[in-house]
Amino acid sequence: MAKLSLRNISKRFGDTQVIHDFSAEVDNGEFLVLLGASGSGKSTLLRIIAGLTDASAGDVIFDNLRVNRQSPRERDIAFVFQSYALYPHLTVRENIAFPLALDKFKGWHHIPGVSTIARRVFGSSKDIVKQVASVSSMLELDEYANRKPGGLSGGQRQRVALARALIRNPSMFLLDEPLSNLDAKLRAELRGEIVRLHRLTGKTFVYVTHDQVEAMTMATQIVILHNGIVQQHATPQEIYVRPANTYVARFIGSPPMNLMTADVTDGQPALGGLRFPAPEQLRLGNGTVTLGLRPEHLTVSADVDGPGLAGTVRRIEDLGADTLIGVQPDPALGLNMWELNQDDLLWIRQTGQTRLMAGDPCTVSPEARMASYFDSDTGLNLVSAGKDSDAGMLPTRG
Amino acid sequence: MTTQEAPPITQSAPHKRRLKAPGNRSFSKPARYVMLAALVLFSGFPLYWMLNTALSEDSELYGQAQGWWPHWERLADFGDLIGSVPIFKWLTNSVVIAGGTTLLSLIFAVLAGYALSRFKFYGKGAAGFLLFATQMLPEALLVVPIYALFASLGLLNGMGGLILANVAFTMPVSVWIIKGAIDAIPYEIEEAAAVDGCPRVTILSLVLTPLILPSIAAAAVINFFDGWNEFLLAKTFIAERDLWPASVGLASFIGQYLTSLNSVMAAALLFTLPALIFFLLVQRRIVSGLTAGSVKG
Repeated sequence: MAKLSLRNISKRFGDTQVIHDFSAEVDNGEFLVLLGASGSGKSTLLRIIAGLTDASAGDVIFDNLRVNRQSPRERDIAFVFQSYALYPHLTVRENIAFPLALDKFKGWHHIPGVSTIARRVFGSSKDIVKQVASVSSMLELDEYANRKPGGLSGGQRQRVALARALIRNPSMFLLDEPLSNLDAKLRAELRGEIVRLHRLTGKTFVYVTHDQVEAMTMATQIVILHNGIVQQHATPQEIYVRPANTYVARFIGSPPMNLMTADVTDGQPALGGLRFPAPEQLRLGNGTVTLGLRPEHLTVSADVDGPGLAGTVRRIEDLGADTLIGVQPDPALGLNMWELNQDDLLWIRQTGQTRLMAGDPCTVSPEARMASYFDSDTGLNLVSAGKDSDAGMLPTRG
Repeated sequence: MTTQEAPPITQSAPHKRRLKAPGNRSFSKPARYVMLAALVLFSGFPLYWMLNTALSEDSELYGQAQGWWPHWERLADFGDLIGSVPIFKWLTNSVVIAGGTTLLSLIFAVLAGYALSRFKFYGKGAAGFLLFATQMLPEALLVVPIYALFASLGLLNGMGGLILANVAFTMPVSVWIIKGAIDAIPYEIEEAAAVDGCPRVTILSLVLTPLILPSIAAAAVINFFDGWNEFLLAKTFIAERDLWPASVGLASFIGQYLTSLNSVMAAALLFTLPALIFFLLVQRRIVSGLTAGSVKG
């Protein structure tokens, strides 16, 4: 059982700073997901928590104990690697028993040669065999117990790695993109498995991924990292509904949030002649603001005369239950699509199928009260700004 | 345009199917056997001739032409040879020297190979290169300085000193073989072991060593044969007849005025056998090790 505190963690490799002044508090039993694109520093951060990499500055604190100088073993953590990192020369049973057998080692058992025998003797001791059996049956590994990792599929290997982590009963589980090497179906299956283990153990999980679906479905809180800087630390819900800045808005959601530049006159934002009611917290003068709308907060109709933004349907992606419709706004509206918007299309998500076809004229109507507003210069969410969007200033949850 | 023939459907498991590139038909079965037989004959004939010579009469060897078939009845005379010189003593010495060389060299090589593979330290490149550089110097060049050194250290005329000198010559190659093997092991496995509670020495003995066993076996073969065949240092350093390894003992058969060819060959046969047995023992490991399960994919 451990509460994890990270205080002002920085890491540089030579001249490159991969983590900038990271702080966070994670309560016992939380499922924290570190989410970011590759190179965002998320794996490095996890390795610093594990003690596999040293931080250049800052403190890692477990409960009230500073563990910076402790080995991974002393920190009492379990680590699950993307590449599984099983011991190829040992059977599944021996792999799972390995940490427990090592627990029983006394000083002289580490002498080369003695260690080989000691691992075998301890590994086949009654209590360990019993524990291995119960963990294997929990992860449905019984029938593979005598196989070597080479004879297992990717999903089975990752199960063995989870079993090896679980059997230690550590105070914290650290998982580094454990599902990245698996196919989509297995990924969904193991996602459920990991969530189940989290509930079952009630331990703190820190999980690194670049997959927003994993983050949204598993986390109790998410930290989004970009170039080693925290973009937002909040619950999945909060991050989706109130992204702290335009990076988060574009990173989460598929397709991402539509961003457009809206003109503001007398505190009233307007988009292509369409007025948006500014939220109360928002104090706008004159100028521009970046306006964001999730695809599901837009509707599209073939009625060209209706209220809304005129445009032409360019792409239709039928996903079965949903349909994504890409609309190119009428250039006459002078709509300034945000620079990152792919193909300058407004994406709309609609349940079921559509009758529209590519090339049809259409009208897009936004659900105006669901709009997000970002500062056109800094990209920060104007509604939640100062509350929880400041990079580096991380509030704890709850 | 040529039409491509669909590959025939086979019932065998994929890993047992032979890879055949279209248009590059491999040799037919009989041709393959003929070539293999030629190769076996080529490398095996000297061994056979050694046996044949050992079992020939002196008169045959120095007078009329040597027969093609060995005189098996002369096998009994091997006993005379064994009685006349301490050949078993020499062979035992050889086993001790070659075995000691192998063991010591491998211990050093695993430690040094690990350091060169996993640690960053000042002068790492230079250390690696220097190890190689020692291989550029011929043994004969170093015999005299080592002799002087050993004389002052009291290491002459003993197997310990000889082992030490042998290790100096065989270890560098082993270090590079083992460094290469460790380079190929994913670092995550070591980290997993560290998380599981292994100090570095235990990571090395419990996890890494079993994984690089095929390379260790390969290095062991090289070291053992180096130690087994080594002649120059042994001849120079060891004067006492009872401490000779078999290589030196064998050479002593070649007299200034008279060389009994069949005795030399008989002793040479005995000299070959232990090395052969060692190779057969280790070779199995090399093959089985190569097929052990990998980490990924």
